[in-house]
Amino acid sequence: MDVLFLEFFQNTGFYLWDYRNIIMIFIGSVFIYLGIAKDYEPLLLVPIGFGMLIGNIPIFKGLGLGIYESNSVLHYLYFGVTQGIYPPLVFLGIGAMTDFSTLLARPVLMLLGAAAQAGIFITFLGALALGFEPNESAAIGIIGGADGPTAIFLTAKLAPRLIGPIAVAAYSYMALVPVIQPPIMKLLTTRKERLIKMEEPREVTKREKMVFPIVAFILCCFLAPAALPLLGMLCFGNVLKEAIVTERLAQTARTSLIDIATILLGVTVGASTQGDVFLKASSIKIFILGALSFCVATACGLLFAKVMNLFLKTKINPLIGAAGVSAVPDSARVVHVVGQREDPSNFLLMHAMAPNVSGVIGSAIAAGVLWSLMG
Amino acid sequence: MYGFSAINASNGWAISVVGISIVFSGLVMLSLVISQLYKILGFWSNLSEIKIRKKFKRRKRTQANNLPFLTENQKEISRQLLLIAQITGNQFSIERLMHLAQISDVQEPKQHIDYLLETKIIISDGLGQFAWDKEKFDSAIQSK
Repeated sequence: MDVLFLEFFQNTGFYLWDYRNIIMIFIGSVFIYLGIAKDYEPLLLVPIGFGMLIGNIPIFKGLGLGIYESNSVLHYLYFGVTQGIYPPLVFLGIGAMTDFSTLLARPVLMLLGAAAQAGIFITFLGALALGFEPNESAAIGIIGGADGPTAIFLTAKLAPRLIGPIAVAAYSYMALVPVIQPPIMKLLTTRKERLIKMEEPREVTKREKMVFPIVAFILCCFLAPAALPLLGMLCFGNVLKEAIVTERLAQTARTSLIDIATILLGVTVGASTQGDVFLKASSIKIFILGALSFCVATACGLLFAKVMNLFLKTKINPLIGAAGVSAVPDSARVVHVVGQREDPSNFLLMHAMAPNVSGVIGSAIAAGVLWSLMG
Repeated sequence: MYGFSAINASNGWAISVVGISIVFSGLVMLSLVISQLYKILGFWSNLSEIKIRKKFKRRKRTQANNLPFLTENQKEISRQLLLIAQITGNQFSIERLMHLAQISDVQEPKQHIDYLLETKIIISDGLGQFAWDKEKFDSAIQSK
């Protein structure tokens, strides 16, 4: 009987625990806390945080419980991540809930979304300089796109072993947008610039909104065919939304489908951060590069907005350049809040949405370009 | 390998420049297309209106080409004939118009009335009565 108890005890977490599991359980708990108590991207941080708890319960290997064991349930669910299935489904939902009106009203603001993507390529160089392989560097660079599904999609294609740290870094920084961006925004703009009030955007017709996703899809995918899975689903989702006659499908895409994909994505990515796999020097480097990537992308957007102001007759508020990093809609919200701190009557949210959604398109194109250059 | 040597060895600079150029050109191209999109769509939705307008213009042009030519003398005499015709009411007989023109000393009234009939400024109702097409007459008078 003693032997049975001993054998059972040896299979419990109390016997098998490792300090790395404890660290990851702590980090997972912090994620859950930030999501619930601080309301930082709760829809992402809570599933990822809980996934971290799932992935870091010390288990006896061979029972088919761990995410990296080929016969486990978690492994099957993780298949959607490693094969890049969930991110396009999330993009379908994003497309079905995105309104491109402000972008259509002032297409020039799309350039801010393009400028912010410079962060991806600068971080790519940084990762190469730190000794990462080119494929891994490309996957790390995409963190600067501030788009979780895009980061996971590209990493699954180029550097599957880095999915855990890259996904966690991407989602963590997306959640921390309200903390990371404001100091950079203040540093790179003057008070006078932050006070600029922008003109009301023109009214956009229904027909324009209907035609846009089709034109955008064809143009962008002709240019970067590797962006097809992400941009295809994004634009398809938007067509469903704007077509009205497909409202039922749009409704499913923007509610149930995206929720299911987000839950599976979040939990499995979280579970993939097992202490022994995740806690490595390379993960710390990825986190540092991820933070750098976000900061550079924000700075590039802001500075490009200032450059644009040199040529534009009607000036734009350079703060909206920071929304070019995607992170829809958080970075647009941060721009609005920072603008309102200077002048409560200045409403920048709708203006910031234009670079924000163009950032989504830009990061998907960047992912496609990197995939085709590295793949 | 670390630092610049690692970047150079992986062709990092070129990949970055190409990458950012493609992203930029893609979004610039898209923004250019979008900036013209509403004009194209506006043109499309106004296409039927434009067609109607074109048709109207074409008809006007045809009408202008079909306008009878009147010399200054013909114009003057036609004006006198119109005044006489207006005395008789909206409809009149050619005989009565001729008679009134003769007693009013209008020059060569038959020749002018014939010309006005030929150019359909004076129109027959098919029952022996005639009317004056004032619109056509005014256009003919105004044309140089």
